[in-house]
Amino acid sequence: MITLKTRWLIFSGLFIIVTLSYILKISMVSQPSPQVEKSFDYLETLPESTIIMVSFDHEASALPEIQPISLALLRHAFKNNLRIVGLSLFAEGTAIGYRLLNKTAGELGKKYGQDYVFLGFKPQHIAAILGMGESIKDVFPEDYIGNRSDTIPLMMSVSNYDDIDIVISFADGDRTVYWIEYAGPRYGQQVMAGLTAAMITSYDPYLASGQLYSVVGGLRGAAEYENLLGKTGKGNRSMPAQTSAHLYVIALIIAGNIIYFRNRSRQGRG
Amino acid sequence: MELGVIIAGLLTLAIYSFLYRDNPVYRMAESLLIGLAMGYVLVIYWQTAFMDRIFTPLFSLGDFWVVIPLILGLLMFSRFTKKYSWLSRIPIALMIGAGAGVSMPAMLYARTLKQMSASVMPLINENGAFNIEALVVAVGLISTLAYFYFSREHKGLMGRTAKLGTYFLMIFFGATFGYTVMSRMSMLIGRIDFLLTDFLHVL
Repeated sequence: MITLKTRWLIFSGLFIIVTLSYILKISMVSQPSPQVEKSFDYLETLPESTIIMVSFDHEASALPEIQPISLALLRHAFKNNLRIVGLSLFAEGTAIGYRLLNKTAGELGKKYGQDYVFLGFKPQHIAAILGMGESIKDVFPEDYIGNRSDTIPLMMSVSNYDDIDIVISFADGDRTVYWIEYAGPRYGQQVMAGLTAAMITSYDPYLASGQLYSVVGGLRGAAEYENLLGKTGKGNRSMPAQTSAHLYVIALIIAGNIIYFRNRSRQGRG
Repeated sequence: MELGVIIAGLLTLAIYSFLYRDNPVYRMAESLLIGLAMGYVLVIYWQTAFMDRIFTPLFSLGDFWVVIPLILGLLMFSRFTKKYSWLSRIPIALMIGAGAGVSMPAMLYARTLKQMSASVMPLINENGAFNIEALVVAVGLISTLAYFYFSREHKGLMGRTAKLGTYFLMIFFGATFGYTVMSRMSMLIGRIDFLLTDFLHVL
């Protein structure tokens, strides 16, 4: 039976291992997985000025995983002079999306309104996704900071999904599914996802059927993308900690099983 | 150091203090988190749903059609009175009807038809090579479906197929559990990264 003391020891061990992985500055190189490579190659080959849509469909609690992914993809898109229409279908993702877009745009000298725009949040995500297939400006008459959409230079060349090459949804739940199910079949909109690791298996069927173009998943996905981009970020920095934490969990599972079987054989003898 | 970073650092430590034992500092941080999240979401919804879709169109643009959804929305509050609670069934019926009408064709296509067609792959690919993936998918699909087929007793061939299905299910659960552990570790790593770099400046 796990006592309170054992629990403290387990947590303290995990904290020490993760902290040491940072302090010792171990370097690790992760080889890109086919999915990450596919995502990278897609953005890499898009012609300059192509408009992509980025949707921040996640809560603040998912930031440790989602932020490195979104930073890597946004940097890549801005570096290749792609234009970005940002929005959020999750209320909590609104301020996060606006901040991340401004941060990456600032790093690469992009101008709000010309190179990127953030439309903000819209409730009733299914209605919003379907509505944008007819007219994005009708669904978002104003952007996040109150400018009328029809006066924003970037939005003048955007009518509906016909003008959007791909939708990238950063999600920690099922919001990307709605993009796949509603924007995909009806409007032929291609969808890419940046997901938390916990959600990856839920999206595998959509990848296998081709309904979802590709996935960049979890911190590892972010690290792989950063390697392809040639710019180290939080994903790469976190990889040694991630690996050591996993090894620690595996060691605990093995130890737990040894204790369990030992106790069982003792009880059997008794 | 920014005030926001100090507050975030202290609140992170307050939440983690629960690992030692439940305490008032943890409970204060927990209540603050729930309150702030609710408040933030409420303000966003107030602005994007009520102000942008009802108040502005009605009073600034003179669009009186929005009175209909406004009334339907207000009818939802009739649930607070016993006498008029039946009125709330009108907007609920509309929501369910419209929701089902919009969702059913999309879900049937995306979750059933597309998935079925993706599951049926040729065993020999276009290069004439044997497609092992197709075989694994076919065996996995049939055996997992057999496991969930309860109209016939799981005995003999049916029982063995269903048993095989449980192995495929276990592989799926194992992969999902592994990814979930990875995800939760990432959250811890993200917080420790924040504490060591932004809050404590150790790195």
